[in-house]
Amino acid sequence: MGSGTRQAGIDVLGTPNATDSRRPDPVVTVSSLTKRYGSVAAVENLTFSLEAGTVTGFLGPNGAGKTTTLRVLLGLAEPTAGDALVFGRRYHELDGPGKRVGAVLESNDFHPGRSGRDHLRILALASGIGRRRVDEVLDFVDLAKAAGRRVGTYSLGMRQRLGLAGALLGDPDLLVLDEPANGLDPTGVHWLRNFVRGFASQGRTVLLSSHVLAEVAQTVDRVLIINGGHLVADAGLDELAAGGVSLEDHYLKLMALEAAS
Amino acid sequence: MIGQLRAELLKQHSTRTNLGLLGGMVGLVAVVILLHALNLPADKLGRGAAQLMVMGQGQRLGTLFAALLGAMAITVEFRHGTIRPTFLVTPRRGRGVAAKIGVSMLIGIAFGLIATAVAIGVESVALRARGIELQLVGGDYAQLLFGSAAGAMLWAAIGVGLGAVARNQVPIMVGICTWLLFVEGLLFGDIGLSDYGRLLPGALAQAASGLDPQKQLLAPGLSLLLLALYAVAAGVAGWSAVSRRDVA
Repeated sequence: MGSGTRQAGIDVLGTPNATDSRRPDPVVTVSSLTKRYGSVAAVENLTFSLEAGTVTGFLGPNGAGKTTTLRVLLGLAEPTAGDALVFGRRYHELDGPGKRVGAVLESNDFHPGRSGRDHLRILALASGIGRRRVDEVLDFVDLAKAAGRRVGTYSLGMRQRLGLAGALLGDPDLLVLDEPANGLDPTGVHWLRNFVRGFASQGRTVLLSSHVLAEVAQTVDRVLIINGGHLVADAGLDELAAGGVSLEDHYLKLMALEAAS
Repeated sequence: MIGQLRAELLKQHSTRTNLGLLGGMVGLVAVVILLHALNLPADKLGRGAAQLMVMGQGQRLGTLFAALLGAMAITVEFRHGTIRPTFLVTPRRGRGVAAKIGVSMLIGIAFGLIATAVAIGVESVALRARGIELQLVGGDYAQLLFGSAAGAMLWAAIGVGLGAVARNQVPIMVGICTWLLFVEGLLFGDIGLSDYGRLLPGALAQAASGLDPQKQLLAPGLSLLLLALYAVAAGVAGWSAVSRRDVA
């Protein structure tokens, strides 16, 4: 993860599914989504959609409902009301979801006693993906040399890269990344940014949750900002730039207004 | 489904957990059998029924460790968060649970066979060293080995089901140990609820191995059938819990 060829591009990615790239429907459709835990609404009446070929930043303070939304979208949690669809279906209804959607939700979802390669091989076997692809993605994230080591010996940055390798195994059309830059060194962050942009330039889609606004501003086309489970902003980065407002200023102003209301 | 089974098999042999469980089981069986075979009076150990009951400690521990490995197969995923990537690639969670049960049953058979084989071997050597003649015949050994393998296989499935319901590793491990080592013994032996006690899953596994010197237990075939019903019930409960509940 740092070699010139890899920084420059997305050599591990295959050809995007032509049918999907022509698909008129949004890649992700979240409609009036509500998720309650007892009497607490983690997400309430949230609606947005993502178009193919875009990178969308999903922003908000801690506890805003970002992770809950991503979990409902990926079938890990059931919505209380509303819908969260991927390629027009609920996640669990997708045929071979591992080949359509790649996701990294936590930086530590590994068994510490298992090697990085075995972790990926397990995901590959369950998704019907060949062993060669495991080596490809390991090489892509620059973990080939450490692949035989137990994950418990990995740094946070290496775990992030292993998570990304797992998400890329199926050569997906949609990537969902929760704090992907967390733990990466500056070279790794730069690589990730170029990778994400390159991924979207192929007509694929990225939904990226992050707290690092400066990084988000350099990576995404559009931001969705939520607070208290509600969508409080949905704006293109170009719209903000045209208004002479930085993403950080826009975000802080919104949060101040939310706090005052 | 084949992919899920292969993935599960790799999960279970790509860490040292099962190897540690196997090592612990073999060591414990050897110690327990040695303690019995070296310390019980020679006149008592000269009888076939007593020899069989000592060997039965292998069946008991094989069953226990098979149940633990089954429970750990799923609770370890919740503990380390690997349940998230697991369900992302297999969102039809029932398949994932079925694969865990299938692979755990397979490894459970090995645990049951190894525990009993170690028990037979250690007791045979210890008795010969004391000059006590072995009274058991081929059929006794066959029943013991077959019943231990089958009982451990079904208890591994029960372990997966209970683990899927409980999710939390420590309580379920403590619960299984307490049940198999103390509670059934209390209900069946000390409190004397033999009519009901023989229907309990630990007693059924024991009966399947022919470990019934006082003829209180059910017939081996019927015991296995009832134990299989316990396994199905635990599997369905685990499948239902995993399918219904959100993953944090």
